[in-house]
Amino acid sequence: MKGLVAALLFCLLASTATAQRIEPPRPTAPSPSSSPALPAPTLGGPADSSVPPSVPSAPTVPELIVDLSQARVSITSAFQGESLLLFGMFDPPGEIVVVVQGPPARETVLRKERVLGLWLNTGRQAFDDVPAYYFIAASAPLQRLLARGAGGEILSLEDRLASIRPVGWRPPHELARFRAGLVEVKRREDLYPATFGQVSVQAGRLFRAELPFPSRLPEGVYDVRAYLLREGKIVAAVSRPLPVGKVGFNARLAGWSRQEGTLYGIGAIVMALVLGWLGGAVMRRL
Amino acid sequence: MEIYLPIAEQSMNVFILFGLGGAAGLLAGMFGVGGGFLATPLLIFVGIPPAVAVASQANQVIANSISSLQVQWRRGNVDLRMGLVLLLGGMIGSSAGVTLFTYLKRIGQIDFVIAVMYVVMLSSIGLLMLFESLRTYFRRRRNPGGPRGKLHTHYLVHRLPWKMRFYKSKLYISAFLPIGLGFAIGILSAILGVGGGFVLVPAMIYLLGMPTTVVIGTSNFQILFVAANVTFLQAATNGTVDVVLALLLILGGVVGAPIGSRIAGRLPGVVLRGLMAVLVLGVAVQLLFQLLRTPVSPYSLGIREVLP
Repeated sequence: MKGLVAALLFCLLASTATAQRIEPPRPTAPSPSSSPALPAPTLGGPADSSVPPSVPSAPTVPELIVDLSQARVSITSAFQGESLLLFGMFDPPGEIVVVVQGPPARETVLRKERVLGLWLNTGRQAFDDVPAYYFIAASAPLQRLLARGAGGEILSLEDRLASIRPVGWRPPHELARFRAGLVEVKRREDLYPATFGQVSVQAGRLFRAELPFPSRLPEGVYDVRAYLLREGKIVAAVSRPLPVGKVGFNARLAGWSRQEGTLYGIGAIVMALVLGWLGGAVMRRL
Repeated sequence: MEIYLPIAEQSMNVFILFGLGGAAGLLAGMFGVGGGFLATPLLIFVGIPPAVAVASQANQVIANSISSLQVQWRRGNVDLRMGLVLLLGGMIGSSAGVTLFTYLKRIGQIDFVIAVMYVVMLSSIGLLMLFESLRTYFRRRRNPGGPRGKLHTHYLVHRLPWKMRFYKSKLYISAFLPIGLGFAIGILSAILGVGGGFVLVPAMIYLLGMPTTVVIGTSNFQILFVAANVTFLQAATNGTVDVVLALLLILGGVVGAPIGSRIAGRLPGVVLRGLMAVLVLGVAVQLLFQLLRTPVSPYSLGIREVLP
């Protein structure tokens, strides 16, 4: 059992070299105006500007290590949605929260109304900065963790959507309805999974969580973040990008369709002509 | 067995798609129409985005019409002159239709327009065909082998200028008629993803007064080129042609068509047309029901735009 844990730890250490590491400010250097809000984790740059970059940060073994069972989500011809395993290790005590976010984009919400007995789209409202996908998992009830002060950085879906920007003006109560409509559609497509995921902790320091991805998954680079919380404060955070995209034949076809529409169209016509001709000729002989 | 459709961006059961193509092919074989009018609403019904369903169905129509044109051409059942005049209107109509389609898609009304157009068109065609076949059926039973009427009746439309002689169709009519008809079918073809045979064939018989022998071949000729134009334009401007989806539909159609024509050979024409009318009306009622029924959710999402 110990050997297994050691081997896993080794693998983790080796693989997290690619993952971006985010360090919140060290509690050992308290600033005079001890602000409770933590700065947003930045990818790459120094985590704390008060510490000179030439001084290496203290711990040799990070407090939080995370990896995914796959480096990317590949949309192949057999793709029907996928479940990725996120796993890692942390220095106890603490709780783990995992947030997965799809690339932000402008989404337009359409609303149907009955006009002369027929249902047609009458209202539309666009929102900017809408995440394509949003999933949260935690090792303890999230409300409890967030209530204790980490809410500034870790956002529940509702809080995250509070920051999406409506395009154009509309009365607030109307906007709220469109926002609710957006969540409803995304829920239906499993892009905003309705339930919080469970991060299960083993042996007090190993953790794992299932990340469910549905079949209608928008492409782009997703952001997977894991946080280690102690007493409601973020003590460590790890972020890593997760590319989601079509591969192989699908990627080539979609690429042609997007970039070489003319050629793609001619190809589609030729395919239909050849198959129709051959098919007709063959089937008539039978 | 599921397959991921790269342009529709979702996975779908292979056998459902194959079956849909087969059903369309069966209709093509039985009634000489493309069956697109049935396949497109069904594709939308199983969850393919309407824009992709329409464009990919147009691709399938090409295969369907070339395989039946093969036979008609060999039998000399194509009025090439009439076909070309129809095609002139068809090309203009389908190009205009794709532009209209792109616009409707942008303002988020394409689903509604597709549904309404289907309901209006299918119910009127279905009723016309039903009445016609019932009338013929009863008249024939009452009066077998009675005196034949005129070759075709003359309407006001026959007085339009720019008359042309169509020898094979034994017609001397204004070229505006087939051009206008071709134009209308072109628009239908672009917006609904159908060949338009189920409108074109009755229109050629009742409106233009063409002899039934050349109707199927000539309509197939026009549909082939119009569908190719729609496929090309949809691919070039909207990028909505899913060749994987089209391939499955075509393969299904190849199997379905000969079965359909074998069935057609055993049934009298009147019964066949009556069956077709019932089928067309059934689809229309189903679509109308969907427009009237309170939707599960009034909300849906438009096109996702990734801003740079």
